[in-house]
Amino acid sequence: MSHWLTDWIVPLLSTIDFTTLNGSFGKVLTGVSQVDDALKATNGTYRGTGGSGAMEGFLFAFGLIPSVMFALAMINVLEHYGALNAARKLLSVILRPLLGIPGVTGLAIIGSLQSTDVGASLTRALADEQKINAKEKEVLTMFQFSGGVMITNFFSSGAVLFTLVLASGELAVPTTIGACIGVIFIMKIVGANIMRLYLTTFPDKDEQEQQPSSTATEK
Amino acid sequence: MSNNSNPMITDIFVAGARKGWGIATTSTLPNVLMAFVIIKALQITGLLDLLGKLCEPVMALFGLPGEAAAVLISSLMSMGGAIGVAVSLFQSGHLNGEHLAILAPAIYLMGSLVQYVGRVLGVVGTKGSRIPLMLLIAVINSFGAMLLMRIIINI
Repeated sequence: MSHWLTDWIVPLLSTIDFTTLNGSFGKVLTGVSQVDDALKATNGTYRGTGGSGAMEGFLFAFGLIPSVMFALAMINVLEHYGALNAARKLLSVILRPLLGIPGVTGLAIIGSLQSTDVGASLTRALADEQKINAKEKEVLTMFQFSGGVMITNFFSSGAVLFTLVLASGELAVPTTIGACIGVIFIMKIVGANIMRLYLTTFPDKDEQEQQPSSTATEK
Repeated sequence: MSNNSNPMITDIFVAGARKGWGIATTSTLPNVLMAFVIIKALQITGLLDLLGKLCEPVMALFGLPGEAAAVLISSLMSMGGAIGVAVSLFQSGHLNGEHLAILAPAIYLMGSLVQYVGRVLGVVGTKGSRIPLMLLIAVINSFGAMLLMRIIINI
């Protein structure tokens, strides 16, 4: 780590990161108690205290709506300005050493991070057109199968964990969205490589390209 | 939506936020509501405590209480549901912020596998005999992520 990275970039990024811009709800008064001769006020979330069940679940989820809207809005902007295309170009260069699969699978990889069906159908097409062999297909499938649709799924639900606050008003989760996404991505690569290792160790003698059967793609 | 070839950044943001509203109201909210109901039912019946006691030895390896198993089990069906369960257990005090951090990547790595057997493996045309291996690897990924995340938050 060079020092300008820690001195300048990190503080800058941490001021404009998702959690900061996402902000928080205001506090409401949840209780008043007498301490010696003074009144002590307790503040909490708009949900108040002591809720449970479906009622509490609804109000809690209601509080998550802004985070989900903001996350999806940010993804939309990034996508529009070519962040994902840039990622694809970068990926296609490193796919061979990373996963042992050809760069042509870059689109399927990126697609699979955003949509189950895009990833799966592109993989199917690559195999049917003989652009990847049976082993490469299995490795690519394993990559998608674990942590499927990572980006869309994570930002439409997981990101809300990072907006939870403790009673003190501090963020509850002691890590960042970036670290979490990073761990998911690293383990996806690890899993695909376990499959790669398995197929190298126990090669399938009769692994012929199956005739494309009429797979009914369900919704 | 007009098919504008050069939309303003604000329009793109708003379109994304609209998508988010759709996801939040049709997926997040029902999932979280369901999870809160399930957890409440499990608490009242004492099943949550039982599950917690049963899974305690395994979960302890990852620095988690036994109840965290409920999050992982529900993630197999639905990632959003698992987040709901995690949040509900956080609210009830069974899980703290560190536990959530350890669980977060794991939820996604073994998330929705039941659904993906059809939607990914079925579409790609993976041999049936290889499905158990793929499920196993996904679970290994998940547990690896828990170990990794535990190290990260303790740095």
